[in-house]
This record gives sequence, C-alpha cells and structure tokens, in this order.
Amino acid sequence: MSNRDSDNLISTNDETFDYLFKIVLIGDCGTGKTCVVQRFRSGTFIERHGNTIGVDFSMKTVLIDDKKVKLQIWDTAGQERFRTITQSYYRSANGVVVGISTFLSLQHWVEEVRRYTSSHVLLILVGNKCDLESLREVEKGEAEALCQYLPEVLQVVETSAKENTNIDSVFFYLASELKRRHENRQINANGDEVVRLGASRKLSSCSSCSYKIF
Amino acid sequence: MRRNQPLFVQGADLHKNTFRMSEAAEQGKDLCIHTGVVLRNANTKEEEVQSLGTLNIVEYSFGKCIEWKPVEDSVVSENPDQDSEWSLVDTHVRRARTSSEGPDSLGRTRTVRISFSDLNSLRINHGGQQLIFMQKDGTTYVAFFQLSNFESFLNSLKGFINFVKSRTNRNTFIVVDEVQSVLSKSFAELDIFQENTSDYVWKFVRNLHNRPYETTLEAFSKLADICLYKDPVKSSEEASEFLTHDVPALPASVSSGDEYEVIGDHEFDVLPPRPHCPRGMPLSQEQWNKFKDSEGRILNPQEVKDIIFHGGIIPSLRFEVWKFLLNYYPWNSTHIERLELKKRKTDEYFAMKLQWRSMTLVQENNFSDYRDRKNLIEKDVNRTDRTHPYYSGDNNPHLAQLSDILMTYVMYNFDLGYVQGMSDLLSPILCLMESEVDAFWCFVGFMEKVSPNFEVDQAGMKTQLCQLYTLLSTTDPQLAYYLNNHDSGNMFFCFRWLLVLFKREFSAVDIMKLWEVLWTDLPCKNFHLLICAAILNTERNVLMENHYGLTEILKHINDLSNHIDLSSTLSKAEGIYCQLISAEDQLPDNIRVIIGLEIQNNVLPIIDIENDIEASDHNAEADESDINAEKNSSTESILEFDTVTFDVKRFK
Repeated sequence: MSNRDSDNLISTNDETFDYLFKIVLIGDCGTGKTCVVQRFRSGTFIERHGNTIGVDFSMKTVLIDDKKVKLQIWDTAGQERFRTITQSYYRSANGVVVGISTFLSLQHWVEEVRRYTSSHVLLILVGNKCDLESLREVEKGEAEALCQYLPEVLQVVETSAKENTNIDSVFFYLASELKRRHENRQINANGDEVVRLGASRKLSSCSSCSYKIF
Repeated sequence: MRRNQPLFVQGADLHKNTFRMSEAAEQGKDLCIHTGVVLRNANTKEEEVQSLGTLNIVEYSFGKCIEWKPVEDSVVSENPDQDSEWSLVDTHVRRARTSSEGPDSLGRTRTVRISFSDLNSLRINHGGQQLIFMQKDGTTYVAFFQLSNFESFLNSLKGFINFVKSRTNRNTFIVVDEVQSVLSKSFAELDIFQENTSDYVWKFVRNLHNRPYETTLEAFSKLADICLYKDPVKSSEEASEFLTHDVPALPASVSSGDEYEVIGDHEFDVLPPRPHCPRGMPLSQEQWNKFKDSEGRILNPQEVKDIIFHGGIIPSLRFEVWKFLLNYYPWNSTHIERLELKKRKTDEYFAMKLQWRSMTLVQENNFSDYRDRKNLIEKDVNRTDRTHPYYSGDNNPHLAQLSDILMTYVMYNFDLGYVQGMSDLLSPILCLMESEVDAFWCFVGFMEKVSPNFEVDQAGMKTQLCQLYTLLSTTDPQLAYYLNNHDSGNMFFCFRWLLVLFKREFSAVDIMKLWEVLWTDLPCKNFHLLICAAILNTERNVLMENHYGLTEILKHINDLSNHIDLSSTLSKAEGIYCQLISAEDQLPDNIRVIIGLEIQNNVLPIIDIENDIEASDHNAEADESDINAEKNSSTESILEFDTVTFDVKRFK
C-alpha cells in the first residue's frame, strides 16, 4: 500500500474493501497511543511526537484470509478533562485498544469502555514501551489475572512502538477477531440459532456471544 | 474508586420525579430521542459531575412526558443493527457485572420524568447549551446539551406543547397547553425522517429558499418512501394533510435560542457581499517610538492595537510589544515604573518557584493532585515543539525552563493546574522572551484570556463550539446545514483549533503573527471564531462536493495543519466581520452576543421598546429567583400574547 493511500482520504475513498471496522485508542497520557498508531500505519517511530489534542484520525487496510479489512483508527487525547469530547468518538467503536500504565487506570478505562461503547465491542489492553523494562509498572501476568474478571478483554499485549514489537499483531488480531465475529453474527442472523431470554442456556455456549472467553 | 455517576435527583424532589410503582411498570412510547444530554437538578451543586443521557419525549397512558435517561439505558437502542434478543442478553450481563456501582446507577431509578402537565416554563441559557425546565411546583431541571444545542429538542417539543415567549425575558418560553394538532403529533410518530420531524420541516423550509430544486425532490422522495414502505392508509392521510397545510401559517421556528422567527421574515439569510479587507504593514520600530512619550508611556494604545490587528508587529519589536499586549506591562506605565514592576514580578516569580522547589519527597508523596500535575508536565514538556531549533536535541536547557514555568504556574493557579495544550501556548512565548520571568508573566496574561478552554467541565470549549455553529448558521447557512446533516453540527472537528488557538495549524512564525492579532481584541469579541468561519469557508466546497461525512470532515480538517494561508484567512475573517456589521440591524441576538454587540430584540419591535431596559437587566445569567418571578407573571404574559401577535401583524 502506498503511503499516499493511507494518508489521503480522497484516494482511499474509491478503494474497495470487504469489511470496515472502527478502532479507537484510549488510555492514560503518555502511554504511547500515537506512536503505536504511527508505527502501525507507516512503520516509523517518532519519539517526540506532540501530545494529541482532541482526536487524530487515520486509516489502514489489512488483508485477512484474502479479505480486505479496512480499519478506521481514532487516536484520542488521554487527559481526563477532555473525555467528554473523546467519548463521543468511541461510542460507535467496534474495537478499542487501551494503553495502560497502572492497575488503577486499567480498571478505570475498562469501566469507561463499558459505559460508552456498544456491547459488542472488543478490547485489547496494550502495555506499550516494553523496551523500558526498568520502568515497568504493571506485570503482564498480573494484568492477565485481572482480565479474567473482565470478559470483554480479548488479550493483554506488551508492545514497543520504538522497537516494533507486537504492534502489527495487535491490529491484525483485533481485525481478524472482528471479522470472524461479524461473519458469525451474520450466520446467526440468518435464523439457524435463536436464543430467547429465560431459556436456560449458558452465555458461554452461544457462539456469537461477545463475552466469550477464548 | 471515584464514583462516576453521582445521584442527580436530590433532596426533597427525590420522591416526586422517580416513579410510583404502577407508572414505572408501564412501557412508554418514545416519540423522539435526543442523545448527549446531561441533566441536573438546579438544586444540586454546580461542581458535581453528571453523567450523559438522552432526553426523550415519551407517551404514557397518563400523558406525555419529557424523560431523561442515563446513557446505559440507551446503549441498546443506539445499535439498530444489533439483534434485539442479543442486545437483551448483553445488557443483562452488563448490568450484573458492574457490581462496583451503587444501586442508584442501575437503570430506571435514575430516570427523571417531567410530565407535560407539570411543566410551567422553559428557559434557554448559556447561549443555547442549557435548557432549563421549570415545573409548576418550582422544581427546576437544567439540561446541558453536549452534542448539539437545545434547538432541535425545542423544535421537537414544539410539536407537542404550545408555548409563548415571555414578555419580560426573551430566553424564556411559557407553556400554554399541549398541542392537539394531529399533524405535528403524527409527524413525530410517523418516524419518516431520521432526524426529528419538526426539525426536518424547518430545515425543509429554510432549504427550499436556498436550494429549491434539490430540496423539493428530496422531500418528495421521502414521502414516496413512506407511501411505499409504511402503512399505506395512514401515510397517505398524513401526506395529503401535509400537502394541503398552509406552510407559512405553521407555528414559528426557534432560531438558536433567542427569538421566534417567522418564516418568510428571513432577511439576514443572505448577508451582504463580503468586502475585500487587505492586510496592512506590521508595526515598525519608528511607529512604536512615535507612540511613546518622553517617559516611555504609550500614548495611544488603541491606535497601536489597530496597526497590529491589520498587520502584526515586525519580528524584532515583538519581544517588547507582547508584554503590553499580554497585560504584563500597563500601556500607561513609564520606563521607570516598568523597571520597578519587573523587579517586583521577578521576586514574586522566584518566591512561587521556591514553593514547589522546596517540596520534600514526603510532601510530594502525600500530595497526589500536585504529583499528577507534575508528572503530566514532565511528559508533555518532553514532546513540545521538539522539532523547533529552540527546543530540539537531548538535554536542551530550554525544556527545563518550559517545565519550571509550567510548574510555577501550577503554584500560581493550582485549581487550573496544568492541562494539555498549555505547553503549546507557552512554547512560542518562551522562545521569544528568552527569559523565564518575562515568559512566565506573559503566559499568565495569555492564560487570563484563554483559561475557559481548560476548565474542568470543558464548558468554555463547549460554549465556543456551540457559538461557532450559531455563527456559521448566519455566515454560511448552507455549510452549517451540511455539517449538521453529517453528524458534525457539534463542531468537534474544530476542537484543536480552539483549544490551543490554532497553534497546531500554523508554522512557528505564523502563529506569532496570528496570536498578536488576536491579543488586540479587535475588531470584536470572539474574532477567533470568525477565523474558524473563514477557514471553513475556504474549505466548504471541498467538504460538500466530496460529500464528506463525519470521519472525512474530521480528517480533512486535521490534515489542514500547516496548509492554511494566514494572511488570506485573516483578510477573510475581517471581511466576514464587515458583512455582519453591515447587516447589524438585522442580526439576531445570539449572533450579537457572540461578537459583543448590545442585545436588541429586533423581531417584535413594538412591544419591546418599553421592555428593553428591563430585558437588558434580565438577559445576563439565569438565576432561580428570576425564574420564579417569571412563573408568577406567566398568566399575565399569556393574556398579553394575543395582543402582541395582533400588533405584529398590523405592523407588517
């Protein structure tokens, strides 16, 4: 994909795609949200990128099982004060990437996602800057343990935008999960499986339940 | 953990507006839904954070109500593509899981219902962001519109309630009775239009004026849709009723808060042509010297500002003049007074700097608010303008200065503290002043002008975004209509422009020119909003011809960064100002307020002559006693309304 395509909307407008998903990046100030997007989008790393004011927007199309999956990526400002503005952007998100720095904020952000997004949203927790091991605040195992209680969290991933560790895989994983679930939901919508409230069925046995743990 | 969702129905009103059991069980019929509204009881404290919800008009067997629901309840309905049964399952899981929330945050008990029969009056406040509901028993609720302004809600409400504008306060509407008209009711219930219906009708009428051909076709296609896809008997009745109805005789629409506008009375729909306003020469050293008297006083600051407004300042003189523009030095001070002032301000600065410098580790550990501010400053300073030569490279000493000034500002104004964006505002100032003390005091002056941008509740930003939309509705109604129809009427895509006054949109050189123009406070209040309007005017065709939607609009505006021509933008903004001023007599009050003109009610000229003095006392901020007074005089106002209508007709 040429650089122009990812930067210029007019040229990407004509581009065909099979799926379009909206991914929103949220999380504390300075967790590297913008650097993660930058690395994924253009493969570069700019250490001294200015802080994000309001929201930045970019797009990238990835190929999954020969299908073109177009990702709209919304990169939001981290400071709590701006949340009333940024909330309006994650309302219709399909996937959310949360940049975490502490346990306390992890819970806070997950709560935020529950409150303002649809119930089908998929969430990936990203501990960025894993190259800075000496400044680590959250142990991966502990984050994973906590996430057992947060069923909408798909995965906890440690990344480094600087050293290009796991960045692409975060977005590919999210994109392929969204695609898979979208397809499942379409099959179900065709009528072969109907679940009624009150019927004694376990939630985890429903194939299209968004909270299923893998 | 912080409680995110405080109770908002408090004290004595609690029993009244939560439900009786029998009522609570009934499933009401939603007649219209408006998202993004915060509701608060007027008796609760201002600082309390409220959660977001939807403001609906709902019909029950016992009558119609205005109902506010917190956002959790509406999560389901916001996803039309979801299978309804799945939604129920998910919602159920969602509720059960959020055990950290108190019972108050679970669904229905938090819903507020205001019955139409209890509603006494409505009042618009804060330039249209707030709508205040007064009940007959004196209970008052304030709805804060975050995603749009009150207009569309009020227009929907108009389909169900008859109200008249108060004689004594032009922002207040007094409820007369419920609308009995089948037409307006059925339009709302029909659900023909994605947006709310009466809104649509008014947009249709306005648009018919601007783009008659497209508008008519669009409207007919929607009617055709309904005839084809909805219950044919019902809809053809509606359609024929709609077509035979005399359009100008419909009740007047409300335009952005201040008055009733009678259709066909739309003179300022088209402003006079925009004059060309050429930019001038920058303030020169020679001119500047001439303005000073022998002791160094600036004799005619207004004239200096006028030159700066039209042409800026030559770069070598900025360093001196900015201190006046940013209210560090008074214009009428002498050389000697300024030396003394500088000495005093230097001492004051270092005293404040010492306060945080001398904080021990223990103190810091026990002071989380301070620590949060400090951490954020550290993070942001390291990424502020690092491509600019003045701040580039490792261990650049100017970064420490940037940080020290921001930390000292935290001690100077702890409540405001440090908010992202402030480092952007300081960076050009420090770069120019090259002195920590001078930069600090100039920054203080700058913050005086823009501190509403950084308030905790972001009310200042929301007001400006709302005002920008209002302004655009007059300067470029077609674009305003387009934006509103493409989910962008909240103008959030201009957030960055406003928060840091275009700092991210222009080069380091241009931003200095732009800011000094803005600091003159000429030619009117909120000139920065006219600059926004000017940039949007330049981009309007790109936005509309490409049929950009929400995401494309946002991306296009974000990508304008470093591609905006400053000089032509300033010329255009001044031109827009001249357009507004030459139509001054016809400007509605909401525009007058934005550009700082005196308010004059120009829609009902006959009655308002006698009320002008009283009205100008009333139009400041809403206070509750004011509303109560209004309530008592409401009967009288209704009686007088007939006469008023009659007078207006005769006048025409």
